[in-house]
Amino acid sequence: MTIKYQSQKIAQYFYTFAIILFAVQVLVGLVAAIQFLKPDIAILSFATIRTLHINALVVWLLAGLMGATYYVVPEESETELWNYPIALFQFWATVVAVTAVVVGYIVMGIFPQANISVLGTLVLNEGREYIEAPRWADVLIVVSVLLFLFNMFMTMLKTKKWTAIQGVLLTGLVFLALMYLPGMFYSKNMVKDQFWWWWVIHLWVEGSWEVIAGALLAFMLMKTIGAKREVLEKWMYIEVGLVLFTGILGTGHHYYFIGTPKYWWWVGGFFSSLEPVPLLLMVWDAFRTTREARNVTNKVGLFYTVAHAIFNFVGAGLWGVIHTLPQVNQWTHGTQITTAHGHLAFYGAYVLLIMAMIYVTLPSMRGVKEFKTSRAYQAFWWMTISMVFIVLTITGAGMVQVYMERLMGLDYVAVKANYNLWFWIIRAIFGVGFLVGTLIFVYDYFRLGKDQGLQKT
Amino acid sequence: MSNKAARNLFIFGSLFFFVIFLGLTFDTMKQIDGRAPEVTKEVDDGKQVWHKYDCIGCHTILGNGSYFAPDMTKVVEKKPAGYLKKFLMDPKSTNKNATMPKLGLSSKEADDMIAFLTWISKIDTNGWPPKPILAQAAGVGGAQQTRGQQVYQSQGCSNCHSINGIGGTSGPDLTKVGAAGKDAEWHMKHLKDPNSLVPGSAMPPYPSLSDSDLKELAAYLVSLK
Ligand code: HEC
Ligand code: HEC
Ligand code: HEM
Ligand code: HEM
Ligand SMILES: [Fe+2]
Repeated sequence: MTIKYQSQKIAQYFYTFAIILFAVQVLVGLVAAIQFLKPDIAILSFATIRTLHINALVVWLLAGLMGATYYVVPEESETELWNYPIALFQFWATVVAVTAVVVGYIVMGIFPQANISVLGTLVLNEGREYIEAPRWADVLIVVSVLLFLFNMFMTMLKTKKWTAIQGVLLTGLVFLALMYLPGMFYSKNMVKDQFWWWWVIHLWVEGSWEVIAGALLAFMLMKTIGAKREVLEKWMYIEVGLVLFTGILGTGHHYYFIGTPKYWWWVGGFFSSLEPVPLLLMVWDAFRTTREARNVTNKVGLFYTVAHAIFNFVGAGLWGVIHTLPQVNQWTHGTQITTAHGHLAFYGAYVLLIMAMIYVTLPSMRGVKEFKTSRAYQAFWWMTISMVFIVLTITGAGMVQVYMERLMGLDYVAVKANYNLWFWIIRAIFGVGFLVGTLIFVYDYFRLGKDQGLQKT
Repeated sequence: MSNKAARNLFIFGSLFFFVIFLGLTFDTMKQIDGRAPEVTKEVDDGKQVWHKYDCIGCHTILGNGSYFAPDMTKVVEKKPAGYLKKFLMDPKSTNKNATMPKLGLSSKEADDMIAFLTWISKIDTNGWPPKPILAQAAGVGGAQQTRGQQVYQSQGCSNCHSINGIGGTSGPDLTKVGAAGKDAEWHMKHLKDPNSLVPGSAMPPYPSLSDSDLKELAAYLVSLK
């Protein structure tokens, strides 16, 4: 297997960057977990460590998605990338901007007073979860994404082959870029601030990103088992359609208690309860296609693809729907139940998605047909088992918290320090297991296709 | 269904739901201002302090944020401003078990923060956070309380202190406070003016408690052994 178009190789730059950040993310996540037991373990406080954890996560997933798109679009358009130097420039600009932002967070963590306000915006850390990046960085991010999208559109225009897969992929990416904008202005009113903040967060993970995932799922099923495009594309439209039909109004599940009108209880409760439906459809789609498959060309790739579909449904769908009704959410809102869901959803839906894309596309970029697959499976099991136990542990912590604090009225700090102590210890232990899996994956990424005496896949 | 029909369903269906969402957003924006007091200059300044120190990196507010530290939505209803100000400017000096770092808030920043948190506590959140139902249910059949216990409850001492694991953690645990060798006299003086006995104390004074209530409360505290 080799790639058809040399410019697809640009994807590897993005993958490498993504994987380095992934390792950083997991490492600081482990530090954050230990800070539940010993808050002063690091020079940086929990707030900074957590900011690094979730920002590294979001940025590496975005870098992974960009890499994947740089691979998919030339392939689907059947042509070289419109402009390779611009793509390379976009990559390095992103790396420089992200590095500057990270340095800013660390400086702010050590000297909080350095986070001064200039022209009405904070220069180092905006102090809003997930979108902590300061305004100047937001602008750079938007420019970078626009350059990227422009390059993609020009590539498609070269041959005007609008396949459904790349059409949906690009729709998702444009939607993603647009939904970054509601996070870029200041509201004096905290209720409005949170209202628009959820546009970014929710309409990303339960809107545009799922649309992208739907398109990439179809692409990967086609690549790994040669499934029929026609059928895949039809189901893809139905899946991503249902994602948006339920997910857009499903935003209401964040508007129950933040000072917004009560009709969101009905709107959010009803539509978000249906959000698992398209995710279940994706699982069914993956299984149906796999059953019909005659020749599997990339077993590991397929394995990760199916795992992504399953854990997307379990983490986002099941662990989401359990606390999505207002009558339940009023007790669980803002507890460790949310953390449990956040972890399994992000892991299943997007971490496994990017890893699957890497295993589907990397062999051809490295010019190998077969590669040693044992490490890929080891990484998967280390990570997945650890993550499942982290999530079960934190679900347990969340149940205790809801019972003790929310139902019995005990003090937050007392519950955290006494009743949940063992849950924090167990989480940290499984965190080490997750880190082991991550490191195996990082090693495998750099070694893939370079081993001596390749095994049969 | 043909692929083209599926595509059109995706495009037009999504647009349809997005338009409804925009309509609801428009209506919500009109209603939000009426569901909270006016945002004054202090409140806005306080909000900016909230962002500047990345308080959301540890705390939730309105239930959103990080789950490392208590929710801030109703904190001003439980803790008086004087206490909060001391805590915000230097957590450890107020509560020696505190793990919140000293972030370096100035006196004005602390005042603005309290104005902001007070504003937050007045938002109509559709009843969130709900009252702990099990605690209420247990209270109904609870044992007969002494007058001292009743004063302890009505004055909200348990927002800061805990006895046998029940109550807050901002002040010292009182489960065995009677064993510390402080007599009723000391407690009465301390309750009236904590600063006179513990310089720099962050505990609020209770100068308006009646003499008899004060006596009963002090007796209750001494009895905790
Ligand atoms: C590094 C994490 C961290 C950051 C950042 C942080 N806090 Fe805290 N805060 C805590 C913890 C933990 C507690 C619980 C008490 C304790 O252990 O100190 C707390 C308690 C509080 C309390 C309640 C005190 C009490 O006795 O009830 C208030 C009010 C508070 N924080 C406000 C803030 C504000 C305002 C900011 C931003 C300026 C902030 N915190 C930033 C960790 C943090
Ligand atoms: C806003 C929080 C707060 C509230 C409310 C509060 N306290 Fe305190 N209390 C403190 C702090 C902080 C200290 C430690 C400083 C000191 O000793 O003055 C303290 C100390 C004490 C002590 C001394 C404990 C010791 O071991 O020396 C007693 C007794 C006490 N409080 C009783 C009460 C009673 C009774 C009430 C209700 C009438 C009450 N407190 C309300 C914060 C509070
Ligand atoms: C891939 C998709 C998803 C991802 C990555 C994801 C991730 C997250 C994260 C990280 C949070 C916490 C946000 C915060 O930090 O405040 C959250 C909250 C929430 N999610 Fe999801 N989610 C996904 C899908 C879903 C679905 C499908 C549902 C419902 C069926 C759902 C229901 C919820 C609810 C109700 C909350 C609010 C929890 C609270 O009140 O504290 N999520 N989600
Ligand atoms: C790829 C794997 C991971 C993903 C996708 C992920 C994702 C997230 C997300 C989205 C949040 C913020 C929202 C929330 O708290 O719900 C978060 C917070 C956190 N993560 Fe992770 N994480 C991962 C791995 C880890 C690991 C291995 C650990 C360590 C054991 C860890 C520890 C934490 C801690 C302690 C927090 C703070 C939670 C809180 O505020 O209470 N994470 N992570
Ligand atoms: Fe959501």
